[in-house]
Amino acid sequence: MSEDNQNYQEFFFGPAHPGSGNFSVKLKLEGEKIIAAKSIPGYLHRGFEKLMEYRTPMQNAVLSDRICVFEPLAWNLVHANAVEELMKIQAPERAKHIRVILAELSRIQSHFIWYGALSMALGFDTGFKLAFGYRDFILDVFESITGARVYPAGYICPGGVRRDLPEGVEEKILKTLEKIDEMRLWEELENPTFQARTKGVGVLKLEDALKLGATGPVLRASGMKTDVRKDDPYELYSNLDFDIPVEKEGDAYARFRIGLREIKESVKIIRQVLKKLPQGEIMEPSLANLAVPYNLPEGEVYVRQEAARGEAAIYLVSDGGIKPYRCKVRGPSFFHLLPVLEHLLQGEQIADVPVIYWSLNHCPADMDR
Amino acid sequence: MENKIQEKIYSQFGVEAKREKQRRMWLKIDQERLLDLLRFLNVLGFEELSGLSALDWPKQEKMELVYHLWSYQEKMLLSVKTMIARESPGIDSVVSIWGASAQIQEREIHELFGIDFPGNPDLSELFLEDYSGPPPFLKDFNWRKHYE
Repeated sequence: MSEDNQNYQEFFFGPAHPGSGNFSVKLKLEGEKIIAAKSIPGYLHRGFEKLMEYRTPMQNAVLSDRICVFEPLAWNLVHANAVEELMKIQAPERAKHIRVILAELSRIQSHFIWYGALSMALGFDTGFKLAFGYRDFILDVFESITGARVYPAGYICPGGVRRDLPEGVEEKILKTLEKIDEMRLWEELENPTFQARTKGVGVLKLEDALKLGATGPVLRASGMKTDVRKDDPYELYSNLDFDIPVEKEGDAYARFRIGLREIKESVKIIRQVLKKLPQGEIMEPSLANLAVPYNLPEGEVYVRQEAARGEAAIYLVSDGGIKPYRCKVRGPSFFHLLPVLEHLLQGEQIADVPVIYWSLNHCPADMDR
Repeated sequence: MENKIQEKIYSQFGVEAKREKQRRMWLKIDQERLLDLLRFLNVLGFEELSGLSALDWPKQEKMELVYHLWSYQEKMLLSVKTMIARESPGIDSVVSIWGASAQIQEREIHELFGIDFPGNPDLSELFLEDYSGPPPFLKDFNWRKHYE
């Protein structure tokens, strides 16, 4: 019970909790109130940064899938961009368009997982099933294009993409976008219980958010208008028309609203890109033979992108060999699950732990790497 | 915008920030003046410590720390690099500047590279539970031997 006769209990949320994923938090409780929380990472630590030092960029493209289970294509893109920037090459225009379509579809399906999990945390099973059901339409598109539903095996690779779009897939994507629009049902499904459980829960103030390293939707829900796609554009984003949703409250409900509005913006982006999709090459010719290793020029780059969960970055260093000298992966969940979560849980009720936890749109895999 | 920042850094510290392309600058500084420079940059608007990374250079018997700083106002990334000795490596913590986001990144670097950060309140194990071997991200770490 306690060392110094104080009335508190220690309690683990995870790693075996059905809602926790590969992660746990040690909670110190006084009655039902949390007086301290300590995150315990490491359940998914696979040492990617070290593994990448022993592999060529094309092999690393396949590894980069696994950095985050929920959005492998986004991490494919960060890695591919890092290698291209180091080699001072650019992917062909058609490949860039395909990449943006996939990155945005990936963002939407990742946000669906977010809602599914948040609904589950609230005991709102219908929401969970709806979100995961609709996500499957997107996975079908991924299967047509990349050959796999979840892990594309380095489909977005240094130099372009591995295969051209199959015939008729544009049609399929447009139909999927209609399905996604159908998900506006969400707004109608927001019932008083949903709001009561999320409004005013887990409030993150802007100044705290900045100190704690929050990025992406979590930071935008606290009132900061920032998005790597706008502030530090990559691929086609400087030529696309979309808005950055911002909310002020910083609570679980605001974060939920951000994701919902971002899905709308992503749909807008995909429609624009599909309209402009050019014909042509899909791979930079010098890298087109995937089996031939190439030298990475000596140098270093830091590439940042906006993944669904926040700022995703790779610091790639080369000493001129065929393998990178160092590859540091910056996962947004590293900050959201460690300092941010520990900060938010303090003083909250134990029943709100799953809601706060899932409202952060995290992925233990990109935290542990 | 970028020129102004380059000038300010040069007039204060006499080092030149190299502009690599739009929104990317790199800067090298010696270990002694690092903390002053970082504090100065934080005041200039580099509010986010986007990434903290270490590099191991066994041939030169050096280690290198890289601080990737992002400014939300100027929309610019400035990477600050500094070399430290490889023998019992250590460098002052930047927790006083970037708070918890720096604390957790230094804790990770401490575990994976064995670099000490005096001033950091908690450098306990992070990913590697019950691990007592040498820091695994060093270049001379023999993973084959380690898992025999």
